Formats: sequence, structure tokens, C-alpha cells
Amino acid sequence: MAVLNFTLSEEGATVFHDALACMFKFSDDVCMEARQDKLTLTALNISKSAYICFTFAANRFFSRYVFEGNAQYRDRFFCQLTIRALLSIFRTRQGGELPQSKDSSIDKCDVVIDDGPGKKSRLIARVICRNGITASHSLAFEVKPPTHAKFIKDEAQNRWTISSRTLRQLMDHFGPGIELLDINTDNDASLVNFTCFTETMQQRRGGEDDALRKPLHTNIAVEMDEFDVITVKDKLHIIISVKDFRAILQHAQITGGELTTFYSDPGRPMKLSYGGDGVLCEFILMTVGEKDASALKHKNPRQNAAKSAKQPLDAASHRASSVPQAAPPKPNPTQQKLAPRPRQSQFEIRPQPMPPPPPPAPPATADSDSLFVPQADEDDQWEPLNDDDDEEVDQIDRLQWNSTGEPVMIKSSHFHT
Amino acid sequence: MESSDGVPGPPLFRAVASSTRPLYQLLKSINFTKKIHVEITEQGIRFTADHARVMQGIARWTKSMFTSYTTNFNSPGSDQDSDSGAESAPPTFQISLPALLEALQIFGAADAAARQSKADMDPYRSNLRHLRNHDPDAFSNHTLGMSGTCSLSYASEGGPFSIVIEESGVTTTCNLTTYISEAREEIPFALEEDPTFKIITQARWLLDAMAEIVPTSPERLTICASRGPPYLRLTSSGGAFGSTTVDFEKGLALLETLRVEQRWSQTFRFEVVNSVTEAMKIANMVSLRGDSQGVLSIQFMVEVEGSEPSFLDFRVVPYVTHEDDEEEEGEGDGEGDGGEGEGETVGSVGGRDG
Repeated sequence: MAVLNFTLSEEGATVFHDALACMFKFSDDVCMEARQDKLTLTALNISKSAYICFTFAANRFFSRYVFEGNAQYRDRFFCQLTIRALLSIFRTRQGGELPQSKDSSIDKCDVVIDDGPGKKSRLIARVICRNGITASHSLAFEVKPPTHAKFIKDEAQNRWTISSRTLRQLMDHFGPGIELLDINTDNDASLVNFTCFTETMQQRRGGEDDALRKPLHTNIAVEMDEFDVITVKDKLHIIISVKDFRAILQHAQITGGELTTFYSDPGRPMKLSYGGDGVLCEFILMTVGEKDASALKHKNPRQNAAKSAKQPLDAASHRASSVPQAAPPKPNPTQQKLAPRPRQSQFEIRPQPMPPPPPPAPPATADSDSLFVPQADEDDQWEPLNDDDDEEVDQIDRLQWNSTGEPVMIKSSHFHT
Repeated sequence: MESSDGVPGPPLFRAVASSTRPLYQLLKSINFTKKIHVEITEQGIRFTADHARVMQGIARWTKSMFTSYTTNFNSPGSDQDSDSGAESAPPTFQISLPALLEALQIFGAADAAARQSKADMDPYRSNLRHLRNHDPDAFSNHTLGMSGTCSLSYASEGGPFSIVIEESGVTTTCNLTTYISEAREEIPFALEEDPTFKIITQARWLLDAMAEIVPTSPERLTICASRGPPYLRLTSSGGAFGSTTVDFEKGLALLETLRVEQRWSQTFRFEVVNSVTEAMKIANMVSLRGDSQGVLSIQFMVEVEGSEPSFLDFRVVPYVTHEDDEEEEGEGDGEGDGGEGEGETVGSVGGRDG
């Protein structure tokens, strides 16, 4: 019996394709995670600064969805696939306006995943076209547990909701060659500013020619009335990558829903989410920390020190609770510098103003309504960053990415001790 | 070449066309070699492209595609009224295909650029528009009545093949070097005696099938024809992402003619078969035939506006396969294969036909 078996309608295949196309802007591979009640696609970009998660509700999105599991994967099954291959399978075929006899559009698409001892591990997508041609695509996959990013909703006191179409229209004003987007508020004027810019020339990676480039600043001021909900600390600057933001909005506008963002401070992750019919789209983006290049330069030694000091604690908390989110966010030098210890403990201890999870030990449950909680398997525990990741952090620094929030990106893996 | 009295004689061949688009499209579909073999006859021009003796493509420009078409040589069988004995045989030569295409493209360059971009986006509609009804563009030169002429001529043996394009007051003259033709051998195909199978279907279905396969960039393509479902099956293998099988499942509705003597399955180099895609885009119908040696013949019928349909011919030589390999290919994707049993397949179809 197949591990997973589902059928997509023509519209379903289109939505699926759109989701994959969006992910493809971040990553080459996608992790597919199937459970009884939902199918989740996740991807993490190569610099681990952006995490994408699409959740498809089993009963609403699919025309048919049967998760059988097998002895090895009873509750969930996961695999990693190449997005490029999936894109070509679910792409829209010619047809539509053509008469029935010439219509080669998709009638339905059956996807079967088989895995297990003695079986060929393949994802087989049978695309049945209206013209009577059937294409069976057989893809190899890698069984690999997905990496999930954690987002602590209670930490994110700043939030706003706006129509994705409105936001997409603003994007038209973004100039060419910009890299970063600074979202900041001015409560006095009741404005939200979207400022796009590139890093100043001396900060850019080394080329002499770069000195000739003029940094371009574009500021788009949006009245707060445009937002459905807005609760943002005054004068808070939050900076994200324009490329990521663009990719998200391009997809969000297709669904046409309301886009909601949550974020806390610079250098901490920002979450954007919107939903469609039976689909939930979530993005966690790392925001750039304080634009303090000199601070970045000095920080490395301390960073390592801080990490090694903190690590045992994290591990302990892991053991304390089997719920993955138990791991407190990793401290981070910049963060410590800017908003030192107090903030962190505050975050742990303070009674949550949010829909309340029991405040004490498993603060993890704070997220229990989040998508990432239901990780039943032990090996899904969040784990603090290891040294390898430190290297990546350094790399990010070179790219002018403040690494501060990096710890939230945690690999789910063997933390059994 | 000049006649004895010093006055240039009439060219061996001269033809004028009001549009180069059909000419261009037909030639483009055999665009898989640098040099093509040209044969001028009284009925039209025949172009043969040969790819490493593994694939051959033939395109024809028929007389009716031109507004005027004159030849000045004695074709075999016609009466000998020419003074010059040197001009008796139909001329044959080789020519650079990219250069010829380039020259033909100059005609309506601005329009063509716009159309081409559309064509890339929408192969079906471009096909219909260019060859049947012109693009309903209010500002195309054609609509505005500014269409020019393109005259082709081959003055004398060994001379250049000239293309003169006159359009909106601009005259472009291209002289293409001709080369002595090499001895040519057609890929043998046991035509009438022994077609193991013959399938006629719409070219677009074949294009659809190829479109499913192309993204996996496979190395090999297996074409399998059988009397029962799946009738016609294309299977790719050796691709980076996995394999793809395309079945013409509603065979009887999709295939206009289906005649299979015996289950036929051969494996080809994918790239070679894929170079026929260009022809699939412009053709209406396609006829696939295979002989007992495994050679595949693909014939396309292309409707040309204001002219009789033109035919494109391709022949492809398969990989040498052994029975074992074949079994391996067929295995794993198999509903309806009935253990590869030919007897069984034939039996099931017998009922259907009756």
C-alpha cells in the first residue's frame, strides 16, 4: 500500500504549482511532510535566513487524500524533492479557451508516494489531461526530515495586517537594484514607511567599481488607515531583504488574502502569513540587526564565547520538555549588546499577554497553535546551533546580514541525550 | 555561367514569394545540421538534413508556395529544347542552413520579431495564426499592405544562391555560397512492404507528449506502439530527476489511424527525437511508422496558406537493443502490459476492433 496517495484537481494543481514556484525563489529543494490531516511543504534558503512553509489541509484542498503510512512512518512521512522537477509536473497545460477536443489542460493529477523495504522509493505523479493523454512522472526522493524554523509569537509584539494586493501595489514603486527594505513607523504622522535602499558603497563587498554606485533610497509612506490591524512600536525600524519580500508578495497577491506580519526587534525573525482556501502560507524571515557594521566586526570572539556558555542551558531545557519549542532562543551577542539579558529573561518569565500558554517551564507551548508544534517524533527537537552554523553566521556577516536571530533556525535532528 | 554570345543566360532557377514565413518555418524544422542538401526540381525545392546518419529530415518548398517559379533546366523526361547542354540536370548543391534561415528572416524583420516572441510563448496559436490566418495585428506590414517580395535565384551551377528581399523600399541582397553536394544516402526504411505499425494523430498531441518529457532532460526515449492500451507510449529514461511515461490512453479518440502488426518498441536518443519538436509546432497531422529494423519514420503534414500542404519527413535510427533491455525498460511502469505478452495484447484488441 502506498504511503501517501492524493489527487489534485486542475485548480489544486495550479495552487500547488504557484506554491512551488514561490518556494523555488528561495530554494532548489522542498521538503514534503505528510500527515493524516495535512500536507506540508517547507523550504529553507541556503543562507538560512528565510523559511517557507505551505500547509495544505487534507480535507479541504485535495479532491482525495489518503495517508496510509507504513511501519516505519506511522504518523508522518517526509521526503525531499527537487522543486524544478515538481514545477514541470504541475505546470498549467495548454487549453482553457480551446474547444474540448483540443484541450490538453489537466483533468486531475494523482500523486502516489511509495517507500519501504523492498519497494521502489518513488513519487509517481500521474497527470491525466483532458485530451486523453496521461503522463506518469516518476521522481526519486530523499527521505530526509524537514527543518523547521521556530517563531515565538509572543515575542513578536509588533504586528500589522494589510491586503496583499495593496502591499503588492506598493512594490511597484521599489526602484531597481535595491536590496533591503526598512519598514518603520511614525505614530505622530500616523504613517508606515517602507524604505528601500542598498547598503552604502563602502560597505559593499570589496569592488572598486561599487564606489561609483549611488545608493538609492526610496521611501513609500503608507497611512495607517490602509492597514486592517496595526500594532507597532513607534519608530521601530525593521529591515528585511527585498528579494524575499518581493517573492512573497508575488505569491500573496495570487491568493489575494490578508497578509499578516509579526515581528519583534531588529535581528529577530519576522513572520508573514496569509491563507487561501485550504492553504496556509507562512514565511519566517530573518531581519537585519542594527546597521552597525563596526560592531559586527568585533563581535565574533564574543559570539563564540556566548554561545558555548549558553549551550548547556539550552540542552537542559530540551530535556526538560519533550515539546520542541522548549528551547529558548539562543542568545546572541548583538542582541545582548543592544538589549541585554533583561530582555531575554523577560521574554521567558513575563506572563504572556497573548492567548495564554501556561507561562512556566514549557514556554514552548506558547506556540502550540503554531504550525510547528505538532512534532510528535523525538528526533524533531529543536536543537541549538552547532559550530557549523557558526560558520554560516560568519558568512552572513560578510554579506551584511546581522546574524542575531540566526539561532531560531534550528535543525531538527538527533537530540536524544 | 554565361551563354556563348556573352550575354548572361537565364538563371537555372528563379522564384518569387510574397512571404518567407512558411519557407522559413519549414526549413527551421530541419534545423539540426549546419549544411543541408538542396535539390531543385520543377515541382519545388527539396532540402535534406542529415545528422550523423542517425537522423534525416526532409523539407520541401512546393511550387505553389511561390507567386512565380521558373526553372531552366531539363528535368528527366521533359523534352530537350534547351541549347545549352550543361544545364540539363536538375541542380543539386549544399548550402549553409543557418545562413539561409538568417537571410529569410530579414523579410518582415520587425513583424517577425514580435511574432516570434509570441510564438515562443504559445506554440499552438502561433502555429494556427502564421500558417492559416494571419496575425490580426492592425499595424503589421501585412495588414497595411506593405508586404514586399522575396526572390530566390540560382544563376548557374557553382554560383551563389541569391536571395533578394524588397520590402518597404529597402532591398536586401544575400548571396549564399553553395557547396558541392556530397554523396548522400537515405536512411533505409522498408516502406510499404513492412511497416510494423502506423499511427496517425494530431501533431499537437505529440508535442504535448514531448512537453511532458522535455523537462526531465532524459538521455533516451523509448517509443512503444501496441494494439491495446496504452496504444502509443513514450518513456524517457536516464534523466536527472527520474523518468516520465506518456500514454495515449484514450487511444482510439486520440489516434486517427492505428495499425499495429506487432508490438513495436525502440529506444532512441532523446536529443535526436527532440529536434523534431519544431516540426510538431507547425504541423497539423503526424504519421508515425516503424519498420522491422526499428527505424522510425515521422511524417508531418503542414498546412500552408494559399498552397497545398507540405510534408516534412524524418527518419530516425534507434539504439541497438537486445530483448533483455527492452524488458527492463518496460518493467516498473506497467499497468496493462500484461507481462509484455504480445499475444495477449493482440487478443484484447481483436475484440475491440470487432
